Amino acid sequence: MRKVGIAGVGHTKFGRAEIPLVDVLALAALEALDDAGVKTGKGNVDQVFVASMGAGILNRQSSVASALVDTLDLQPAMAETIENGPASGASAVKLGYMAIASGMCDVALVVGGELMRVVTGWEATDFVATMLHPDAEYAYGLTLPAFAGMFTRLYMDKYGVTEKDLAMVAVKNHEHAMHNPVAHIQLVPNFHAIIEDEDAHVINPYVAEPLRVYDVCPVSDGAAALVLCAMDLVDRFPKKPVRIAGIGQATDTHVVAEREIPTDLLAVRLAAERAYAMAGLKPEDIDVAELHDAFTILEIAISEEAGLFPRGEGHLAARRGDTRVGGKLPINTSGGLKAKGHPLGATGVSQIVEIVRQLRGEANGRQVEGAKHGLAVNFGGFGNNVVATILSKEG
Amino acid sequence: MEPRMYAYRCTACGKLFHPARAVCRRCGGREFEAVPLEGEGTLLTYTRVYALPEGYMKPWLGFGIVEFPNGLRVSGHMNTEDLTVGMKVRATVGVVKEGVGRDYYGFIFEKAG
Ligand SMILES: [Zn+2]
Repeated sequence: MRKVGIAGVGHTKFGRAEIPLVDVLALAALEALDDAGVKTGKGNVDQVFVASMGAGILNRQSSVASALVDTLDLQPAMAETIENGPASGASAVKLGYMAIASGMCDVALVVGGELMRVVTGWEATDFVATMLHPDAEYAYGLTLPAFAGMFTRLYMDKYGVTEKDLAMVAVKNHEHAMHNPVAHIQLVPNFHAIIEDEDAHVINPYVAEPLRVYDVCPVSDGAAALVLCAMDLVDRFPKKPVRIAGIGQATDTHVVAEREIPTDLLAVRLAAERAYAMAGLKPEDIDVAELHDAFTILEIAISEEAGLFPRGEGHLAARRGDTRVGGKLPINTSGGLKAKGHPLGATGVSQIVEIVRQLRGEANGRQVEGAKHGLAVNFGGFGNNVVATILSKEG
Repeated sequence: MEPRMYAYRCTACGKLFHPARAVCRRCGGREFEAVPLEGEGTLLTYTRVYALPEGYMKPWLGFGIVEFPNGLRVSGHMNTEDLTVGMKVRATVGVVKEGVGRDYYGFIFEKAG
């Protein structure tokens, strides 16, 4: 297999887009192509992979990859649209990796994007819930926040995680986002005001007990893009490509209630183990991580399942400050889903954009000094389809 | 006819599942028979959700995961306000969502006893 690298990255400002989905995708794609020094026009990009969970349902547009190839003038490049729930982004990166590693092509463009704010918050919540089991979950009005709330209660009872620990993760990620110009939310909540003050329940009410507003990511529009290349062609590109060292993916029961140990995120563990094995690395080798904090509890739980901290101690690491920039193992330096935003199909690509920026030393005020290996975990369903990706700095 | 909820028993090895599935997780069997799933169970975890999806007119709704004595675990609505992990609950069946042209039935749990 050929080694595969990332030669260029692009990222729109997450938040509210006032332009159509394909235009948002194009913005991120052009930034990535320019960053990689790859021209548009025939023959420069061999394959295009576009991740979007909601294009068909929210935007009533199908086959967005075909539309994107046209507007970017990349024909006759091969192109397909990938839907794998909130893990669509990292799935698209995996497919791009496979296209190059197999020898099928040299240069692939991977774009993830979503336009969610075209519908109300209730409709968006309903749309996201369509990935749950149609009869045993979705039909009950169960949603991702509902499962996250029930998971959080179990985690609190078992490991002693508190609401304050969760608020600490939220504030930390908002602080990181202040140094990331593409983050949706550029505002740091006051820890005392959202969790300790007697009026905390007013500005930070419960969404799905025991999770509050500040434990849940916002609804965002946006796109992120990568140019993948064969590492044997590295001389073609102005910036030294960051290598995709390992990719792991795993699935778990569709029905959340059927999990044998309800506090386990088995697919995260297996996906991470597979990625470490492929990369020939251990959790101790990771210098920076982007973990799918759609809910604050998930940053803690994923950090444990991915082996970065011992079981039941992720919240202790957060309390110690280990997970902030400047700490032992900074997590979600981009602001995470919590503060950067979570345009579903964009997220897995966006996490990898952040790791590339960290490994290149381009992360400015949030830079992790000397970072060599980074991990991204993109979490689909309530943990039933998870992709872990490890990037390494070359040389 | 009163709506009922069912477990699905693998006709080859006897293992129970809810909801229905194509292949038995224990033996690979592909045939199942429906058996009523009802009675009392234990509440494993719960939440009260304030931001409900489209189609609900209520300000909040309680949800829980309940384990039946036969080991099956299911999600359902909680029709009682004072909830504690480990409490005994009784399964009833009712409308859990009003759809266009059809209603959806599911587990609604009440305090046992
Ligand atoms: Zn069987």
